[in-house]
Amino acid sequence: MYEATDNSLMQGVRDGDLGALAVLFERHHRPLFNYFLHVNGNRDLSEDLVQDVFFRMLKYRKSYQPERPFTAWMYQIARNAHVDSISKRKFEVGLGEREFAGANVMDENLKRKQEIGLLKRAMARLPLEKRELLVLSRYQNLKYEEIAGILGCDVGAVKVRVYRAVRALGQIYFELAGEKAS
Amino acid sequence: MNCEEARTQFVDYWRGTLEEAGGEFDAHLASCERCRAEAQELRDLWGTMGAMPEEDPSLGMRTRFYDSLRSWRQQESERRQRFWWVHRPAFQAACAVAILAIGVAAGYLARGRDTVELSQLRGEVYNMRQLVALSLLQQQSASDRLRGVSFAYRVEQSDPQVLSALLTTVNHDPSTNVRLAAVDALRNFTDNPIGRKGLVQALAKQESPLVQIAIVDQIVELHEKSAAPAVQFLLASENLNPEVRQRAQWALKQLQ
Repeated sequence: MYEATDNSLMQGVRDGDLGALAVLFERHHRPLFNYFLHVNGNRDLSEDLVQDVFFRMLKYRKSYQPERPFTAWMYQIARNAHVDSISKRKFEVGLGEREFAGANVMDENLKRKQEIGLLKRAMARLPLEKRELLVLSRYQNLKYEEIAGILGCDVGAVKVRVYRAVRALGQIYFELAGEKAS
Repeated sequence: MNCEEARTQFVDYWRGTLEEAGGEFDAHLASCERCRAEAQELRDLWGTMGAMPEEDPSLGMRTRFYDSLRSWRQQESERRQRFWWVHRPAFQAACAVAILAIGVAAGYLARGRDTVELSQLRGEVYNMRQLVALSLLQQQSASDRLRGVSFAYRVEQSDPQVLSALLTTVNHDPSTNVRLAAVDALRNFTDNPIGRKGLVQALAKQESPLVQIAIVDQIVELHEKSAAPAVQFLLASENLNPEVRQRAQWALKQLQ
């Protein structure tokens, strides 16, 4: 079955087919929600920001250029929405920690769950710029070219920055793991 | 490949997107224990990141999205309905007519301004003619003064400066031809009482029979009855040319 690409759907929205936005919403709202959740650690705020992104798409649909990847455009809007939300209200960057600090689930996958809990705490301590880069490259699985398009830099720089972000995360993670072990 | 270069390839290595698999990168890892250890350690972390479950937004979020989308579409179609007349040919035709009317009005106003400019220009040309006439009438050369007289035809009869210059010419110009031409030019000013009076007064000052006859003819032409005493005065002079005398007697009859 033929499945419309994101780009052609967004082109349809631009040309007045607002219903096509519903398809884009179904495809992208979950990854976008997780992106915001990683970036700000607040579920309610993240849900609001997802709504905000889709309505910014409607508002600025005339400025959409189909030759650019849709995801790059979407995450650019998402980043702007995030920046605007910071200026509206100053939230605690470490909110994510609160959610998982008490996670103490006793089952056979305990080790894995502990690792994930630790990782989320480490992520929450990472500077926003590095955290965002990991979210885009690891969780959203975007290509280097797409990330370069979102951040406005070249592919080589993206590779170096992603590596540095992973290493910085590693340092925090192993530090936390060490605290826990001792 | 050095350590720095190798480390920028780590992410590709974990992702399985290395461009040249088994090439320089593998050779470096095989030879460098530090890089090998770091690649392994961070690879586990990268793997754990991948195992992190995605969280689901609340169900309410989808509902809110569809509600907002519906109201957005409604607003959009209401806006389109509110401005439906913009797309109607009748409205567009009315716009065209209005624009045409504005254009015509603007043109009319602009033309009004042109008229003002034109009359200014006319005024300037007129002033120039007056100046030329006055200055030519004062020239030494008789032919220049004749040209001055012909310029006097081109000014308005109400112009007192040119009239007085013409009268001066009729009374005092040494050339008979110029005086004759000036008498002719005075025809242009006979609607003006000063012009008529000046013409009658000029009769007594003339000695040339040609000029005398020209003035007498003109007085008759104008039916200037107040000129009768001046004509009688002319008849009383002793050395009057017989032809002039004859003409003056005829004129007196005409004026009675």
